[in-house]
Amino acid sequence: MIGDKCGAHTFPYMDIDNNSAMLEHEATTSKINEDQLFYCNQRGIPTEEAIGLIVNGYAKEVLNKLPMEFAVEAKKLLEISLEGSVG
Amino acid sequence: MLTVKNLHASINGKEILKGVDLEVHAGEVHAIMGPNGSGKSTFASVLAGNGVYEVTEGEMAFEGENLLDMAPEERAWMGLFLSFQYPMEIPGVSMVNFMRTAVNEHRKYKGQEPIPADEFLALMREKEALIGMDKEMMRRSVNDGFSGGEKKRNEIFQMAILEPRLSILDETDSGLDIDALRIVASGLNKLKRPGNATVLITHYQRLLNYVKPDIVHVMYDGQIVRSGGAELALELEEKGYDWLK
Repeated sequence: MIGDKCGAHTFPYMDIDNNSAMLEHEATTSKINEDQLFYCNQRGIPTEEAIGLIVNGYAKEVLNKLPMEFAVEAKKLLEISLEGSVG
Repeated sequence: MLTVKNLHASINGKEILKGVDLEVHAGEVHAIMGPNGSGKSTFASVLAGNGVYEVTEGEMAFEGENLLDMAPEERAWMGLFLSFQYPMEIPGVSMVNFMRTAVNEHRKYKGQEPIPADEFLALMREKEALIGMDKEMMRRSVNDGFSGGEKKRNEIFQMAILEPRLSILDETDSGLDIDALRIVASGLNKLKRPGNATVLITHYQRLLNYVKPDIVHVMYDGQIVRSGGAELALELEEKGYDWLK
């Protein structure tokens, strides 16, 4: 790509099928483990919401750098792709 | 408030709880002491609903409701709080976000609207002052980089925010120096109400110098083998656990 009017925009997309997902962030690699989920559960946060919270936490840093419309869209997409993924 | 009858629980086929009986009423402070491996922490985890343990026999009822039918978050909504022995780190999730989500889930259960932002901030400030939490810590990720003492204090902070009916504190005093212990104990004493109850699981008698128990139980090999007043804790401190066998 040439010129100052071009840009490359990468969109983090994660397909999460189970609740022991591996999440990769640019700088860190971590796993959502059962202990973390139980900790959230014990505070009254159901598993699906807990996973959303944790995944959003990881994605937040990237989302913050996207233009507003994309950020809102990305957040919604993350929620949709997580919905029903806990079996 | 809490009734436990003949509770048996196992993990990976190994039986840890071998018939635990306990009754806790509103306004009471109970202490459960016992040697390592007696099942104290397992008991706390089973009460809170940790799925790694399988309840094989017995009953557990909280406010008349059968706990065995209830998921951990349902038990939390009913007012059961567990202060973890090893609180989890949740990188990327700020304390503010975590607490607001927890508060709103509790409110949803009660049919209330999510807490307004200004009200939530006021609540956080109030409890931060009560427990002596550093405002800066609230912006950090949950327990991420917290020292042992800070993690334990953070558990008490969360307890202050959620205002549970029954608090189970799993070895809250372990790994704390005397100053941290005093701070935690002070927080616990401030949170005591006639309508709530506390179960302190502890290995050492030390914490009980600061948070006075009404009833002391001794757990040994998966059962509560002895119950008495506060003086039982002193007797254990003096004699150790061997004389129970």
